[in-house]
Amino acid sequence: MNTDLLIVGGGPAGLNAAYKAASNGLKTTVIDRWFTLGGQLNQQTQFYNNLPQHFENQRGYQLANYLIDRLRKLDVKILENHKMIGAYNNGSIGVTDGKSTFQVQAANVIMTTGAMEEPDIFPGWTLPGVMTAGAAQILINRERVLPGKRALILGSNNFALEVARQLNDCGVAVKGIVESRNELLSQNDELLCEVDIPVLLDSAIERAIGKGEVEKVYVNTDGIESVYDVDLICIAKGMTPIFEPFEIMSCDLTYQEKLGGWLPKYDSRFETTSPSVYIAGNAAGITNIGGILLTGEIAAASILEKSNAANSLKIEEEKKYLWGELYRIESAENPSALDARLDVIRNFHHETGIQLPVYLDSVFGGLTNG
Amino acid sequence: MKKSYDVIVVGSGVVGSSITYHLSEERNKEILSIDKDFPLSGTSGSTQAWVWVHNKTPAWYGELNMYSAELYSFLERKIGDVEYKRTGGIAPFFSEADREKALRLAEKQAEVGIKVEVLSRDEVLEKEPSLSRSIAGATYSKIDGNVNPFRLIELYIRAARKNGAKFSFYNPVMDITKENGLFKVTTQDGDYFSNQLVLAGGPWSKSLGKLLGIDVPIKQVRGQIVVTEPLRPFLSHTIGGVRQADNGEVLIGYSKEEVGYDLRSTLDIVQDTARMAIDFVPALEKVNVVRCFSGIRVMPEDGFPILGGIPGIEKGYIAAMHSGITLSPLVGTLMTELLSGGETSIDLERYSLNRFDSLQSIG
Repeated sequence: MNTDLLIVGGGPAGLNAAYKAASNGLKTTVIDRWFTLGGQLNQQTQFYNNLPQHFENQRGYQLANYLIDRLRKLDVKILENHKMIGAYNNGSIGVTDGKSTFQVQAANVIMTTGAMEEPDIFPGWTLPGVMTAGAAQILINRERVLPGKRALILGSNNFALEVARQLNDCGVAVKGIVESRNELLSQNDELLCEVDIPVLLDSAIERAIGKGEVEKVYVNTDGIESVYDVDLICIAKGMTPIFEPFEIMSCDLTYQEKLGGWLPKYDSRFETTSPSVYIAGNAAGITNIGGILLTGEIAAASILEKSNAANSLKIEEEKKYLWGELYRIESAENPSALDARLDVIRNFHHETGIQLPVYLDSVFGGLTNG
Repeated sequence: MKKSYDVIVVGSGVVGSSITYHLSEERNKEILSIDKDFPLSGTSGSTQAWVWVHNKTPAWYGELNMYSAELYSFLERKIGDVEYKRTGGIAPFFSEADREKALRLAEKQAEVGIKVEVLSRDEVLEKEPSLSRSIAGATYSKIDGNVNPFRLIELYIRAARKNGAKFSFYNPVMDITKENGLFKVTTQDGDYFSNQLVLAGGPWSKSLGKLLGIDVPIKQVRGQIVVTEPLRPFLSHTIGGVRQADNGEVLIGYSKEEVGYDLRSTLDIVQDTARMAIDFVPALEKVNVVRCFSGIRVMPEDGFPILGGIPGIEKGYIAAMHSGITLSPLVGTLMTELLSGGETSIDLERYSLNRFDSLQSIG
């Protein structure tokens, strides 16, 4: 089949990109390997109070429904239960529903493959009861199953604190947030407001033991060992972009610790080193929901601009606005990730010798002045 | 780490680690093996790992492979269980015209002692009932089999270490020069010196050769391999292109592409490979593929191993070949004989790097 734009991944970045493209007349196809759209948003119950201005603040799963409903009203081909499994020599993408495989010839591709949670390893980490924070969140919010009664959270980024809070709200006794540094990684103080969750700084899990499941956890705090009777350990050590599908598309990679490690190189339009292959969302490096939505939209706007599918002055204005929002949200929520992202973009432009768009002057100016 | 050695072996793949191990057996040399990555991260870790003999031609090349295959059981007694299995090898053919060729192959291989049988369709199906009924027959030999390359290389290295050999991994060689009769090997971690030097860089042999000012006429050939979900044991032989591993996964691979050191899988080849597998073993049609991987194979310009001294570079040696898994026990043995100054059990003249010069001068 042929399409102007193929979007691989129907999470928030892909859905927002698809809306932007399809509402401007691009023939758009969205594939997702899962049987529902929405991706990780489906189990996010927390309230987002810092979304881009053109979105209403709301809870994660509500936002998923909004993005899906909005898209279904348009003429967009949506293929759930379809996976990208490879690329052909002629550049087309192989898509399968598990029974048959077909080629998709797409003039442009936006890949929103998301990110994986990073594990952390300690003796006993394979015992049942040890899981990532994301897994615990799926259990409580999507499957409606309590993953344990008493929990420790390993890690202290925003996501760790959000999940700690959600577990607490579900009646799980969260006995502590274990962080190896001497301060919380999350700068969002509100997340631990009004809940009684101890914070264990300068601490590490030494080992977990138990018969068939986690029963006891030994935590070392500054050389002093304490024992916790818990049956659940949630590991929240950050995310790392899923880049394998980009490798299949011959995209060059770069390493940026602050963006979660290896990820595809991209420019200010979120185009990778493979022409017409774009990136957005978590795959472009750890980001908040605002950044996820905006990167998808910027990628789609860039494709519209290239395809002359919309008034170019209007698109330029829009991109300026979108970048302004991205800057506003990321500099508030994760300034070091923003710096790393701008680094990736600047390096790409430096390597290709293509000038950064003028509307980014203020963004990059803000960076160097700040 | 010590800076001076009797021998430096560049490359710790199946060929390099076998040479290091066999050299270390004599316990009279200080040996350092250097690898740019970690063993099994390259060619040796992305192979179907056949120990394959019966249809390698001409017969003298088949013979070399046969001797090496025969060394495997002896090797296992020395270094431990490398999961070498002599499953017998089946190479099916699909037309009666190919039967003539098969008979000629059997005749030629018999001259050097490789027993090859030419089977009728019914005889093949009796041995391997899952093969397609559309085959016309097959050549078969008991000598073929396969090995676990991960265990093989790990045990080569473990045994070599036990014998005192040293290894330096994640350490690319950047330059090789000769100073006062010694080789000076400049690596990322510093300079090392040795009396003798062996290049066993597999697909990187050409660039290693350049450091010494020689051309190593090899090509990099990509082979894409498709791996199925684990299945009940149903294929007992090593079959041209297909084998079932101990864990039930079926490994399938036929492709050869010259695309440089590009490890990607392409759906064109993956699908061709799957179709080919179904032609051979129809039951595979209903099976899920769980992963694909590519290996970059070494292919000397004329297909045969490059083994022996490097012309014009005293005490410099090279070992670069296709079929490194099959040939490694013998190559390790022969190179040890060569470096120890003795006569080699098999005359290596035919495998010398020199042969390419004469080809050029004739051409």
